Amino acid sequence: MTVRIRTLDELLTPPAAGSSELSTQEYFVNMGPQHPIAHGSLRLVIRLDGETVKEVIPVPGFVHRGIEKMCEKITPRQVIHLTDRLDYFSAIMNNWGVAKLVEKAAGIETNGRIETIRTIMAELQRIQSHMLWWGVLGMDLGAFTAFLYAFRDREIISELFEETIGARLTMNYVRPGGVMFDIFPDFPAKVRKLLGYLGPIMDEYDTLLSGNVILQERLRNIGVLDPKRAVALGCTGPVLRGSGVPMDLRKTAPYGRYGDVEFNVAIGTMGDCWDRYYVRMEEIRQSLRIIEQLVDGIPEGPVNVIKASARITIPEGTYYDQIETARGILGIMLVSDGKSPNPYRIHFRSPNFNNMWAVTAIAPGWRIADIISIQSSLDLVIPEIDR
Amino acid sequence: MGRVDFSDVKHETRAFAGVTVPVSVVPRFKRQTYPTRFLFSLKSLIDGMRLTFGYLVRPSKVVTRQYPENRATLKFPERYRASLKFKFDENGYQHCNGCGSCERACPNGSIILNTRKGEITGRNEIERYIWRMDSCVLCNACVEACAFGALEMSHEFENAVYDRRLLVYTLNRYAGPTANVLLKEENLEARAAMMTKLDTYGGPVPMNGHALPTVRALGSPRDEAKPDGKGAAS
Ligand code: SF4
Ligand code: SF4
Repeated sequence: MTVRIRTLDELLTPPAAGSSELSTQEYFVNMGPQHPIAHGSLRLVIRLDGETVKEVIPVPGFVHRGIEKMCEKITPRQVIHLTDRLDYFSAIMNNWGVAKLVEKAAGIETNGRIETIRTIMAELQRIQSHMLWWGVLGMDLGAFTAFLYAFRDREIISELFEETIGARLTMNYVRPGGVMFDIFPDFPAKVRKLLGYLGPIMDEYDTLLSGNVILQERLRNIGVLDPKRAVALGCTGPVLRGSGVPMDLRKTAPYGRYGDVEFNVAIGTMGDCWDRYYVRMEEIRQSLRIIEQLVDGIPEGPVNVIKASARITIPEGTYYDQIETARGILGIMLVSDGKSPNPYRIHFRSPNFNNMWAVTAIAPGWRIADIISIQSSLDLVIPEIDR
Repeated sequence: MGRVDFSDVKHETRAFAGVTVPVSVVPRFKRQTYPTRFLFSLKSLIDGMRLTFGYLVRPSKVVTRQYPENRATLKFPERYRASLKFKFDENGYQHCNGCGSCERACPNGSIILNTRKGEITGRNEIERYIWRMDSCVLCNACVEACAFGALEMSHEFENAVYDRRLLVYTLNRYAGPTANVLLKEENLEARAAMMTKLDTYGGPVPMNGHALPTVRALGSPRDEAKPDGKGAAS
């Protein structure tokens, strides 16, 4: 994308005679890096004409921690704890992505119990992540109540994680060849109780926020992202599905236990903010459905097929694997030199980075207040963009 | 029911990327005339209000925890990770033999291990086990890597201090062999001879930023030579 920078002289020159347009002066507004909708530190430079957005230029990079570089100095087992810090609301999926890649590269076979536990945990995490997004979207659009309700219910899942894994956010749970802790015997019962609770709660959410006319008016027909544009920008996850493209790795390239369970891919019809909003709500219901099918009859077996301190040497070569996180496809490319246990290079293709650029395609033409709806409906986690 | 009927999720199948994908198409808005739309809009606001006020009058649904007040009754799950500590048996003996697995497993060098050759036992044994909470991310990799069960995660979570120097801990209480080796020796005096009690900062207490062998005090110049030439914690 080229950014045309105009000089002050140019801006102050009156339009050529004969132009029927009113002469208005465009100006820039910085949204962020410290702005409530950024959910982190993202700066949006917005070129405005009156209240109408002409152009949005995202400026990421405020939370750059050099995670990819750090990964070159540590073993794949240790890389996992850094992936917690990419998109911290999809920590388990990120962990799983690296574990899956290393298992594929080093030829480690896992068993049914490991895959089932991973799938259940990943889906719980997806629900938790979407709940948080739901609350924060409400808060961004002025409904603070939703935020509290979301945290109330998110807490139950967090507590389940705390009990099984020992951490609530940066869990470091899935590792190559297994998971860190076995589940407790009462885990299935607790999950079933949770499912029984969350089903009706979803209707409550619909009453509280989805049905609210103010929210509907702020999302309906706003920020339309057409499917071709979404694919061209590399959008994935609910952003792409909201535009009506049924792209979901859990269906198109099933991993874990996703091949064995029945669920639908939620898609939208026209790709406006409402579609992106309700796709996530529907995804929570589908995730509940997946967990329901898996939680009874978790197969028996060990939860680790290799020892924690085992040295995993990845044969020389370049490997790629991807996983569907709560926000889209996380792709991981690993280059190994075959000698050192540390990866020679790791690159993360983060879903949020591509989803962020959707704002440049969506926002022009809308009002500045609609940027809030659009940004919220994209559900960006900034630390993953900057890595 | 309002402008959007939430039960109106259409279940269809779509061909995509060579597979048939069952999809749920999310509900959209119904076309409504102005008066109906106005009434439905009003109703949507009232419904939301009723829900929130419903919770207001049902105090049994209160979920807020009064944190500092409920300290006495605060319970943590067994696996909760808040700080690292050594496991000690009933005699106060440790299980760590200084093998270094944890040091290698730690992704960010939060564990610094000093070992010595025991004068009596002739084995490799731990002299000082330094854990730096200021750089630890509580990833549990060290506990997982220890094959001797010498480490565990404790639930002490109120670790806030004003100076990060206070976050450097010595985890062992004495320099010496493991419980297994000590218990083989029946004679208590001989046992005591194998162990060297550490200085005031030995034990699971912060080292208060004092310079110790292999750990320089924070804020002191980096090039201060270390007595044994080992890498110093910075
Ligand atoms: S918990 Fe992780 S970061 Fe902390 S000392 Fe252990 S291995 Fe290192
Ligand atoms: S704590 Fe365990 S892994 Fe670490 S040095 Fe001691 S025995 Fe080895």
